[in-house]
Amino acid sequence: MSIAVLGVNHRTAPLEVRERFAHALHEVPGALARVLEAGAAGGVLLSTCNRTEFYLAEPQEAVPEAVWTLLGERLSGRGDRGERSAQPYGYAERDRDAVRHLYRVSAGLDSMVLGESQIQGQVREAWETSRPQAGPVLHRLFQSALLVGARVRTETKLGTGTASVPSAAVAVASKIFGELAGRSALILGAGDMAELAASCLVAEGARVTLVANRTYERARAIAEQLGARALTLDEAWSHFADTDIALCSTAAPHAVVTWERVAPAIAGRGGRPLCILDLAVPRDVEPAVGQLENVFLYDVDDLQAVAGQAAAQRRGEIPAAEHIVNEEVERFWAWYGGLAVVPALKEFRERLDAVRAVEVDRALRRFKHLPPEDREQLDQFSKALLNKFLHEPTVALKAAADRGRGYALLEALKELFGLERGDGP
Amino acid sequence: MLVYLHLAALGLYGLSAALALAPFAGFPVASRRSTLWVAGVGAGPALSVLAWCLVLLQIGSELLLRAAAVALFTAPLAGGLVGLALLLGLAPGAQPSAGRNMWFILHVTLSVLGLALLALAFISAALYLLQFRELKAKRFGQVFQLFPPLERLDRLNHVALVAGFPALTVGVLLAVGYAVRYAGGMHVDPAQLVWGSFTWGVLGWTVWVRVARHWAGRRAAFASIVGFAAVVLVYVALKLAQPGTERFL
Repeated sequence: MSIAVLGVNHRTAPLEVRERFAHALHEVPGALARVLEAGAAGGVLLSTCNRTEFYLAEPQEAVPEAVWTLLGERLSGRGDRGERSAQPYGYAERDRDAVRHLYRVSAGLDSMVLGESQIQGQVREAWETSRPQAGPVLHRLFQSALLVGARVRTETKLGTGTASVPSAAVAVASKIFGELAGRSALILGAGDMAELAASCLVAEGARVTLVANRTYERARAIAEQLGARALTLDEAWSHFADTDIALCSTAAPHAVVTWERVAPAIAGRGGRPLCILDLAVPRDVEPAVGQLENVFLYDVDDLQAVAGQAAAQRRGEIPAAEHIVNEEVERFWAWYGGLAVVPALKEFRERLDAVRAVEVDRALRRFKHLPPEDREQLDQFSKALLNKFLHEPTVALKAAADRGRGYALLEALKELFGLERGDGP
Repeated sequence: MLVYLHLAALGLYGLSAALALAPFAGFPVASRRSTLWVAGVGAGPALSVLAWCLVLLQIGSELLLRAAAVALFTAPLAGGLVGLALLLGLAPGAQPSAGRNMWFILHVTLSVLGLALLALAFISAALYLLQFRELKAKRFGQVFQLFPPLERLDRLNHVALVAGFPALTVGVLLAVGYAVRYAGGMHVDPAQLVWGSFTWGVLGWTVWVRVARHWAGRRAAFASIVGFAAVVLVYVALKLAQPGTERFL
């Protein structure tokens, strides 16, 4: 039994690569099913703009290859399946390290913006999306990860300050416009990040005047909340001539804000600056748009770099947060070890009982003269003897599991008695 | 790093103020009379007054537009101007031919104020271009953090340019009026007239594109820099070509 995580994140892969690995919610069950087919008891796929990670319970040897192949196909694109490997961008952790990894992710310790809180919601969403395929161990693991994240944010100051991407968006816009009061904002797409950033801008006095989306109904729903006008995407391009800030967060798999679409409108702005905040992964805005005069284009990586500066102030909280994470890893591992002890003890007892039965049977064949009562006595004696022998190890193993050391003893037991290998006597 | 530069700039601020106040304290660097009279004739007093105007404008822009980083340029410039004034001597270089009167005082005051405003416009334009470059290049270092927002710098540039050009123009017109009324007519060198008109034309163009053509941002910043550069270059060229010409600068 084991837990593993395989994936890529912002430390191991640049945005251009990460955005290829990003899975939309509807893609998660299919991707997980493919990996679980390779041999695993359960799986959760956590896919955000910063990471794509497969958490797996009891993965077999073929599983890592299945994960890298699946991601490699996305890297190569359609038509040249498997030609590029995702493994150079990836990492793998097992057991305690895998648990610690998830807890650190949930606490924001592994985020590009240290301590950012959005990851907590993303972990929850991943767990809920993968729930049918997660299995009991990962179910418990993700539940506990959310609690660890909450505990770290409550008991430390890791989450204080304005180090999130939406607040970085406000900081960047403020460096262009100074006061944001009265500035107009256009929202493209209906992503959560855009809604968050829009609420931050509104709090600074900016006005969301237009909301454009591929589906008009969704645009109208958000526009009504923000007191704005709803548009379809095609209607939005001409409004780049008069808006001050454009927040882009569509779920489109390719750039929708292209030079051809917006350059004519931007040319009519005079010298007025336009701040485009591309919060989508994959990116919504073609990089060429950022080359236009007086256009300031920032994608998620840029905003995270801004927010990262605030993270410097949070670094002092890392030791306290890591302490909580380590404490919780041990707690989970104690539970996990205890979970494993019961079936292992059962198998251990069955294995030794089988040995006992064989030996008693052999002895009874030699003592055919014994009356049935004595034969019964002999069988009872062997069972009592076995129970006596097993008592101490059983008690010790259960006690060790209670203390969180069950897993190590269990591994020793498996090794000594060949459990789970089926190579007993 | 920029924090230390800002502190150094503030130090220069203090130095420039101390140097300008030195005559009042009885130090022999300059005569007290020269700095008491705004309309002191000669380069030294005029540069000293120009430095004072810059310092006052800097304080104004800090208070009104929270553009503290402007001090990074204005303070060394003011310090340099006062230092230069001390080297040249703060005593009046020449007595105006028709004596001092309100025309003369207003002429010098408005001209110096106009130059100081144009210098401020130049500085805000330079800061704008620096901040613009950082924002475009997505560098979020000290310049990004400490320099004022782009629009604030653009507004400062606009105000300084639109106020500075008329001030300078009125200053020049007062000089013409003074010459005609009190000094028996204009005695201006043709080169001075041609290059002065050229400079006025360039400055007028920068204001025209700002106000009438609604230039803003980077183009306006470049135009502003061109205008100020024209003033400085023409002044230096005339000074080199005709040293000792009798005028307040």
